[in-house]
Amino acid sequence: MELQLGLALPPPPLIPIETFDLNSYGNYETREALGSNALSWPLLKLGPADNDINNIHHHNSSSSSSSSSSSGGGAGCKKRSFDEAPFFDEKRNVPKTLHLLLWTNQPNDEDDDPSNVLHENSSSAIFKNDGEGLVGWPPVKTWRKKVHHQIPNGGAENNRLPAVENGIGGRASKSTYVKVKMEGVPIARKIDLSVHHSFEGLTNTVMRMFGISDGNRKIFKLTYQDREGDWLLAEDVPWRTFIRSLKCLKLIRSRG
Amino acid sequence: MPKRLASSLSYEVLEHVFSFIQSDKDRNVVSAVLCKSWYEIERWCRRKIFVGNCYAVSPKMVIRRFPQVRSIELKGKPHFADFNLVPDGWGGYVLPWITEMAGAYPWLDEIRLKRMVVTDESLELIAKSFKDFKVLVLASCEGFSTDGLAAIAASCKNLRELDLRESEVDDTSVHWLSHFPETYTSMVSLNISCLGSGEVSFSALERLVSRCPNLRSLKLNRAVPLDKTANILRLAPRLVEFSACTYSAELRSDVFSNLAGAFSNCKELRSLSGFWDVVPDYLPAIYSVCSRLTSLNLSYATILSPDLIKLVSHCPSLQRLLVLDYIEDSGLEALASNCKDLQELRVFPSDPFDAEPNASLTEQGLVAVSLGCPKLQSVLYFCRRMSNAALVTIAQSHPNLNRFRLCIIEPNTADYLTGEPLDVGFGAIVEHCKDLIRLSLSGLLTDCVFEYIGKYAKKLEMLSVAFAGDSDLGLHHVLSGCESLRKLEIRDCPFGDKALLTNAAKLETMQSLWMSSCSVSFEACKLLSQKMPRLNVEVIDERGPPDSRPENCTVDKLYIYRSVAGPRFDMPPFVWTKDE
Repeated sequence: MELQLGLALPPPPLIPIETFDLNSYGNYETREALGSNALSWPLLKLGPADNDINNIHHHNSSSSSSSSSSSGGGAGCKKRSFDEAPFFDEKRNVPKTLHLLLWTNQPNDEDDDPSNVLHENSSSAIFKNDGEGLVGWPPVKTWRKKVHHQIPNGGAENNRLPAVENGIGGRASKSTYVKVKMEGVPIARKIDLSVHHSFEGLTNTVMRMFGISDGNRKIFKLTYQDREGDWLLAEDVPWRTFIRSLKCLKLIRSRG
Repeated sequence: MPKRLASSLSYEVLEHVFSFIQSDKDRNVVSAVLCKSWYEIERWCRRKIFVGNCYAVSPKMVIRRFPQVRSIELKGKPHFADFNLVPDGWGGYVLPWITEMAGAYPWLDEIRLKRMVVTDESLELIAKSFKDFKVLVLASCEGFSTDGLAAIAASCKNLRELDLRESEVDDTSVHWLSHFPETYTSMVSLNISCLGSGEVSFSALERLVSRCPNLRSLKLNRAVPLDKTANILRLAPRLVEFSACTYSAELRSDVFSNLAGAFSNCKELRSLSGFWDVVPDYLPAIYSVCSRLTSLNLSYATILSPDLIKLVSHCPSLQRLLVLDYIEDSGLEALASNCKDLQELRVFPSDPFDAEPNASLTEQGLVAVSLGCPKLQSVLYFCRRMSNAALVTIAQSHPNLNRFRLCIIEPNTADYLTGEPLDVGFGAIVEHCKDLIRLSLSGLLTDCVFEYIGKYAKKLEMLSVAFAGDSDLGLHHVLSGCESLRKLEIRDCPFGDKALLTNAAKLETMQSLWMSSCSVSFEACKLLSQKMPRLNVEVIDERGPPDSRPENCTVDKLYIYRSVAGPRFDMPPFVWTKDE
């Protein structure tokens, strides 16, 4: 809990509205285009204020901001909870706030703010190329991102070096993960190639990934798509060739 | 309180009574509210200080008020610094604090820092100035190197705890672990999981572990290979917490049985983490300790659902689980049926930047855990879809939730069943979970959700909002309704000057407010700053002076926090205040 050190302030004095002359705020007034009527409706006037609140809700949702979500959500939310009880009532223990600005029921000119452009670009704002897109979203800590995309740089004890020589490690900060799909399953998985060194190991992992029991394994064949876009049977080529040319994997049911 | 009564209790008695009051909240009440003599006594016997924002107060002020502090905890940068939203060089330097405390608190023995810039100079000063130094925790810190660690190792004879969790440390190739003298035997807790592979010498580590009989918590970094892991475990069989190392080699039965044997010796082990690059075939090596495990952090392990299910089915005592979305809904269902003591669940995305899901994890997994684990209190969940129905189910089945952080990866994602905003779902969370102290929102949300939050979330202390709301009304609801709010962090929301200025006084009752990519103008910031002298209003904008842009241009980032120390002196050029 925070060190108080006198930060436990006495309740702020209620500054009478009249001492704030919005005209003295210069530029701010012109932005808001406030008329003198605007001073008449402070939101936080304590007392039975339901009508005021509901009017403001109606007004905001019908003045419909740039996002398409407000009308549906607004209407629904009004019906459910806020028509019944007064939202602000005298008994509520609210610190009397300092009004540097009075709340008005004028439509909020800032609703069409350019920073709302993300609402319009609703599809995959973050899924642009590597490194582009939104900063800091999703909120995953930097070092956690590094863990998954880093090429493991373990010591000599493990067999990582052959993978590096094969060119996978050469792609600086790209990962050694490739996509694996299974026929008939909508969700693709990802597999780390650098921990596998043989078809047997790779096939074992893929089978386990998709929950295929040992008895059923012969029904499936592992195929891969190479850099030219052709689909080939995984075990038809030597491991090193496979690793170099592989783009993604697919498990298919063998026919005949 | 009548003066007569207060003076009839002697100083010694009161001091003794106060020593039982441990919580900072209660101590603050004692010193602030009651009477002058209690204030005086309390300040002299206060030993532990927590400062949630290092710029809220100056070191001199703290020292003046509390002359005999032994333990201090400081936090620096705002939370969104974790996600690269705070530019380098913003601030959070600890050196001024260490410099002042070096002279004033010779008996200081504990320093805990979070999100601060720590230099080698600061570490050297700590090593030199505090004779009985015992605990150093540097969480998410940066700015120092192994040289600084070497100074600590060499001088702090009574060091018990050295925890560098999630910090960034520069490697100067100094074998700093070897700087612990051979006579040093006091280590109880060591966390060096953030260090790179070049920064730890195995032999020095083994020697250190073997001569510290009180070692109970050991978190090593990725580079320690399997056979070394087994050796270290055998040297420290009384460990309670252990971070396991790289398991990347393919299965070898001799290595396996050595590891399994080493683990089975550790009868007191309760918490395991690490598991980088683990090969599932090695997991059975830890089965002998699983039944006693209360905490498991698998969030670096690329193990898939079938192996995860096997593992959690061996852990009936689990209270805390951190895991990747590889666990999938099926794994969470298994968790729900096996781990009835679960209190905390965190599910992280294995591939946060891929548009397609690569694991079958949906809201169903979270619902299953909610329904199956009655003690669940703390949730952090990344997923790609959610529904109001699921959130309502979670809320109704868990009125005791105190932390709920949901991250739906794609911004503005609606309820996948109805296409509606998720207002009602989150509304149910705040309405039913009356003890909720921390909440993070995501998905498609209108001003309505903030109305619910303002109305119901009376104990909420920290709220994180991104890509939500329609207008200033949203922010206004939160600022006017959430009585216990201390920290509010907002990004990419259409909140602007109106809500901020209408609720200016509220800001003085909070620790801090962060707003980035919102709609606040520089004029409003200047006004706020002029009228509220006890607030520091920092506009963080790397594009240049905010004054030089058209008046309706909004500020990039805004950080407002209360302070009795006034404006800070270490602001970088991209932080603008009213005086610029």
